Amino acid sequence: MREITFAEALGEAIFEEMEKDPTIFTYGEDVAKQGGIFGAYKSLLGKFPDRIFDTPISEEVIYGSALGAALVGMRPIAEFHFADFLFTGIQSITLQIEKIRYMTGGQGKLHLLLRGPDGISNSAAAQHSESIETIFMHTPGIKVIIPSTPYDIKGLIKTALREDDPVICFEHKMLYKIKGPVPEKEYLIPFGVADIKKEGNDVTVVTMSRMVHESLKAAEELEHEGINVEVIDLRTLVPWDKKTVIESVKKTSHLVVSHETWKRAGWGAEIASVVQEEAFDYLDAPIIRVGAKNVPMPFSSSLQDFVTPDYKDVINAVKKVLR
Amino acid sequence: MYKIKMPRFGLTMESGFIEKWFKKENDEVKKGEPLLEVSSEKITNEVASPASGIILKIMGKEKEEIKVGTVIAIIGEEGEKIEEIKEKVEPEKITEAVETEETPSTRITLPERGGRIKASPLAKKIAREKNLDLSQIRGTGPGGRIEKKDVLAYLSSVSGKKVEFKIEKLSGLRKTIAERLSKSFHTAITLTNTTEVDFTEFKKLMKENKVSITSGLLFVLSKVLKELNKFNAHFDSDKKELIIFNDINIGIAVDTEKGLMVPVLKKVDKLSLKIINEQIKELAGKARKGIISEDDIKGSTFTLTNLGMMRTEIFTPVINPPEVAILGIGRIIRKPVVTDENKISIRELAYLSLSYDHRIIDGADAAKFLEKLARLIENPVLK
Repeated sequence: MREITFAEALGEAIFEEMEKDPTIFTYGEDVAKQGGIFGAYKSLLGKFPDRIFDTPISEEVIYGSALGAALVGMRPIAEFHFADFLFTGIQSITLQIEKIRYMTGGQGKLHLLLRGPDGISNSAAAQHSESIETIFMHTPGIKVIIPSTPYDIKGLIKTALREDDPVICFEHKMLYKIKGPVPEKEYLIPFGVADIKKEGNDVTVVTMSRMVHESLKAAEELEHEGINVEVIDLRTLVPWDKKTVIESVKKTSHLVVSHETWKRAGWGAEIASVVQEEAFDYLDAPIIRVGAKNVPMPFSSSLQDFVTPDYKDVINAVKKVLR
Repeated sequence: MYKIKMPRFGLTMESGFIEKWFKKENDEVKKGEPLLEVSSEKITNEVASPASGIILKIMGKEKEEIKVGTVIAIIGEEGEKIEEIKEKVEPEKITEAVETEETPSTRITLPERGGRIKASPLAKKIAREKNLDLSQIRGTGPGGRIEKKDVLAYLSSVSGKKVEFKIEKLSGLRKTIAERLSKSFHTAITLTNTTEVDFTEFKKLMKENKVSITSGLLFVLSKVLKELNKFNAHFDSDKKELIIFNDINIGIAVDTEKGLMVPVLKKVDKLSLKIINEQIKELAGKARKGIISEDDIKGSTFTLTNLGMMRTEIFTPVINPPEVAILGIGRIIRKPVVTDENKISIRELAYLSLSYDHRIIDGADAAKFLEKLARLIENPVLK
């Protein structure tokens, strides 16, 4: 199978859906002329010149106009430049986009996709390194997808562009350039279906995004020590695949949840809570969470490494939970 | 300095009998080392030393019956004066004895354990399913937490010995027998009815099915007990209450080297003849080897005593309190019998001897019981 990058797979998904659906258009800061600050739209340069365009630096306007366009029947894809900036336009999202379908008693659909980069890169410091997906898991009314591979982003974005609910997609900055197999034939990936990246019997690691790759690396190292890790990529956080996780925990009796966002009140806490509520009798040890230390991201790259979890933290957590 | 007190093995234990000491005065002893053997009504346990040191004094002598919580020995450092100790050697209240840390643990109890048992939810679940006592399992997880692997290790160590329960050596048994029987004799008003029964067909059928006569008797007995459930009961003479059981748990008197033992076959009415036969073999085997557990000798609702293999035809079994009746079977003998057609035929006959507590059961009830049982023996079916 051909291999393409994560960014190319994203571009392909948007291109294919735009060809089919004339209501789709996409915009954001530096997306049309530059192809996105991390090259997310590079493969779309020059395509659909009237449906892909740049906007001024005004998050409130970007999200608010997307809401308006969706309300009159369009299907906008609005890019947030950095996930960190979502907070500057948050009222459009948490007060309007998430609520409108409920407050109208479901009379209207809201075809709207917010997407953009999150997570760490090279010393982007406190205001450009955040992962804030948990906020949108906590506030109901929007679906949250977080692909980790080229294959997944293509399939999930295509599903998102056929959804009747608003969707937010977080794309980790460090994943845009990774390559992976993507079939040329069309496929969709349903929301709420996790991908078991690696099967194992000793411990379950539930993860998403960049930490999927770190967790797989950890699993590979642990394999040499005879520890058999099952790695589950949730792929979508709202809804999340409770069934697959609980089935896995019933098999392994041990759970580690690993994410790049802060450990404190990160979504891993939600997963851990649900598992102990619904599979308590299957747990042979406390559930352990892996996440960032509870501080704004430092600029220093060595401090960034110190604060951000990686495969070594997953290895330690697995050993701790199995100890 | 440690005061060793008479331990309490169960809630109802009030005193213990010192079978023997493994150590003498002035011997050195290590913490956890077996110190003495104590028997309660049913169970004999080795008691491990709760401390290391020198045995300064032994107050509880062998073959003495001592109240729970009474100081039976002192462990201290070499040279510690006994005079000093003497002041402190006073029997303590029983209620305190249970709580005090110095009450020596029995060998099966884990040393240095707090009251709360830490176990993972999964370990608890498995223990619940397998009917295991978590306090018997050593946890190897963080902080001594019992995990799945600990429960599995315990299970395999137990199943390695081919019994489902913890194995405990029994002794002090004769005392228990004497106590129980004298209680029965002095409180129950025991009468015995007997009847002669034709075992010819029964014996043939049991032989065909390769099961023992005792197994067959349990099988038919459970049916009679189910019907005449007043016999499947305990009598609480204090409260004047008769407790009639749904389960039919029949105690079977077994002769062992150490004396009479009564292992109990549970829920007999729910078992097939074949299973009854297998379980009796296992129980009797365990009883004779002296490896039977307390659970195996508890909970009987009726007792069967079979002297068929010995030279006894009619006897008066003594009721096993608080039960209300006991059935004895005598030797099966070939005898001439006048048949329904007025002919003489050689048949295999034996006496059933039913002892019952007349406070609860009348002679007519007993006759009815024997009538039903005799009919089932003389016209045997396996259903």
